[in-house]
Amino acid sequence: MDSGLICVSLFTSEGVGIWIASILTLAIYSFLYRDNPIYRFSESLLIGISVGFLLVTTFDTTLLPKAFEPVGKGIIGISESGGINSFAIFVWILIPVVLGFLMFTRFVPRYAWMSRVALALYIGFGAGASIPANMQSYILRQIDATIRPFLNIDSFWSLVNALIVLVGLISTLFYFFFSKEQKGAFGKITRLGTFYLMIFFGATFGYTVMARISLLIGRLTFLMKDWLGLIS
Amino acid sequence: MSIWEKAKTIDRRIIFLFMFLGVALPLLIRIGLPVSVTNDVKKVYDYIEGLEPGSIVLVSYDHDTGTLPEMLPMSDAILRHLFRNNIKVIGMALRAEGTGIGRQNIRRSGAEFGKIEGEDFVFLGFRPEITAAILGLGTSFERVFPKDDEGIPIRELPMMKDINNYGDIEMVISITDDDTPVYWVNYANARFKVKVVAGLTAVMATTFFPFIDSGQMVGMVAGLKGAAEYEKLIEKRGRAGRGMDAQSIAHLVMIGFIIIGNIAFIMRKRGK
Repeated sequence: MDSGLICVSLFTSEGVGIWIASILTLAIYSFLYRDNPIYRFSESLLIGISVGFLLVTTFDTTLLPKAFEPVGKGIIGISESGGINSFAIFVWILIPVVLGFLMFTRFVPRYAWMSRVALALYIGFGAGASIPANMQSYILRQIDATIRPFLNIDSFWSLVNALIVLVGLISTLFYFFFSKEQKGAFGKITRLGTFYLMIFFGATFGYTVMARISLLIGRLTFLMKDWLGLIS
Repeated sequence: MSIWEKAKTIDRRIIFLFMFLGVALPLLIRIGLPVSVTNDVKKVYDYIEGLEPGSIVLVSYDHDTGTLPEMLPMSDAILRHLFRNNIKVIGMALRAEGTGIGRQNIRRSGAEFGKIEGEDFVFLGFRPEITAAILGLGTSFERVFPKDDEGIPIRELPMMKDINNYGDIEMVISITDDDTPVYWVNYANARFKVKVVAGLTAVMATTFFPFIDSGQMVGMVAGLKGAAEYEKLIEKRGRAGRGMDAQSIAHLVMIGFIIIGNIAFIMRKRGK
């Protein structure tokens, strides 16, 4: 950055990028005043570039090396050697590629049913992989983490801590039991569960506010440091 | 109209203006408010500090550009710590936009410590379908990433010659703005017993506290605050440390508006 200038020079490759980013940042923030065409243009630009980038990256790093190149090599292998082995390898590569392309049949209503074959496999894999994993991570390990501290009580406060967690778990689970009316002793427990949930929501909201302000800090730092040169 | 009635109808743009000033002024005038280190961040630092030089750590960039202000400072701080301790880094991305971000970050931090690409760090690129990618790495890195980001077969990279799967690395650090660490915990930690650390946006922090308590994650660095804590631990003040003054003042502005709003509400209720 030239020290004599207030803003970063526009006439460098880095400078052009910083100017474009700064103007687009201000265009997005113009929404804080009121909705306007400049804001909508910038928003559309962001969405378009993000989707374009995703498509190009996916094609370049996945479709090309994982689908097109292996299929191409498979065809060459068959045409050169012509053996049963080459053909078997080619079919092995071709099956997932064909299943992948079947997903695109959803765009043609007449053949949309074909995509169900690929979807069924995809859902089957997803459910098969995730159900035991989630059971392990979200249920078994969490129950373990709730009970285990009671086996390692080394001070009064560790006992208090373990009890707070245990009571919170049980009362919150009770809150989500909807087959019984929440009144009487049961209602009191569910009310306690509500307090635990409120604390969780409060903490989450606090973190959310912090995150949003962090993003504002990031953009203002960029504008004031990289663009305007106000921060050393 | 009483002052409390006016408070009810205050133009939201006035609040935005105060918020802007609350963030911009501390960036221009340094206050130097203290940053205390939390246990979850210290656990990450201690674990990395305990690794032998030459150990391998996988850093996955699982976020988009929208959250870069939160992600970049923590990525810089963690990478500086890794490279300073001569730990080798494998970079990758499970989100397309993370590709460019991760590549740039690792190269910049590596260059800062004189590290050589291919020997001290590599960047493997992007893979879609998170579950399949994470499970695949447990079997073979080469099967998931036959080539690195530059198109070089990973077996030709000196650093990758003896790395086959999670058994050859010390830990996974997922820098993310969503629940991707759940996948790392579910598939890499639960199945392959690899240590997992999350570098998260603050929004996601509360989701992951239970995973630290249960030992499924080593620790986490959450938001700009977490990054500032990490910068303090490595004694290298960066973007996050600079932003902490602004963060605190902005919070005070917001608390002020919440108090004013509530007083206005009570006073109007009494007036009726």
